[in-house]
Amino acid sequence: MTKNQRMAYIALLSAQAVIISLVERAIPFPFMFAPGAKLGLANIITCMALYTLPVKDTIKVIFIRLLLSGLLGGTISSFMYSSSGAVLSFAGMWAVKKLGSNRVSLIGVSTAGAFLHNVGQLLVACWIAQTWSVLLYLPVLSVIGILAGIATGILANFLLTHVEKLEYYMFLQNTAEKK
Amino acid sequence: MMRSYFKMIKPLDIIIVISLIILSFIPFFIFSVIHAGTVGKAYTAVISVNGEEIKQIDLTGHRGREIFDVHSDAGHVNTIEVYEGKIRIREADCRDQVCVLTGYISKPGETIVCLPNQVLIEITSDSGQDEDIIISS
Repeated sequence: MTKNQRMAYIALLSAQAVIISLVERAIPFPFMFAPGAKLGLANIITCMALYTLPVKDTIKVIFIRLLLSGLLGGTISSFMYSSSGAVLSFAGMWAVKKLGSNRVSLIGVSTAGAFLHNVGQLLVACWIAQTWSVLLYLPVLSVIGILAGIATGILANFLLTHVEKLEYYMFLQNTAEKK
Repeated sequence: MMRSYFKMIKPLDIIIVISLIILSFIPFFIFSVIHAGTVGKAYTAVISVNGEEIKQIDLTGHRGREIFDVHSDAGHVNTIEVYEGKIRIREADCRDQVCVLTGYISKPGETIVCLPNQVLIEITSDSGQDEDIIISS
């Protein structure tokens, strides 16, 4: 991948992630019993970035998405929730991916990401409310998050194996990692 | 079609999903263990007459029915009843009967007052904080 190609690709992924999270925010969530639960569709992009780009560039994609979606339709509190969730979930996804592609697939990576995103959000909520009892809400969020994570994992896997360029970039990244 | 999806699932995926579901319940278990101990919902009813504390009753650990009399200075009598973690003034010889009409109280911060007889029942909690926590997004 040339430098310009990489730059364009990072920009493309970030733009897609921003649009996805904006569209997702516009969907009224069907589960009224769990306010705060989200599908986390932008996770697809993070998964794809993780598998096709080096870690440094994946962090760039996540950072740009956070900043832009925060500026384009968020509040300070929603920015705090999503950034702490994103940092934790990226660390978790990276660690899970390190287990090796023959042992763990995108499903495991994205469910770990979804779960840790919820944990990060609730930790900020704990800090705001000054009580640990907010964490009791975790099972409700994480069950929905894990189900959504399985779905996004399948989706990202489908994209990575069916879009020619992505498959090519993933191959490049794999060989670069093996060196 | 479905088979290709099953094929992409690696053994560790299942382990990760199951362990994440278990992990999400850990705060729940930790909190239930802590609350089973001393901290948390240990409610005590403090009965005082004329501003002097005369009796403390542990409401959380209380089972069954307990009835006793509280005598105040001028020979007045209030009959207090504790029943299944709740407390009330069952009978009183005061003129307005406000204390009797208050009925059962059980939550921290609630009080029963009998002004003519100078009797006060107040519920306190060990953790020192109210249950009323309001969180809005």
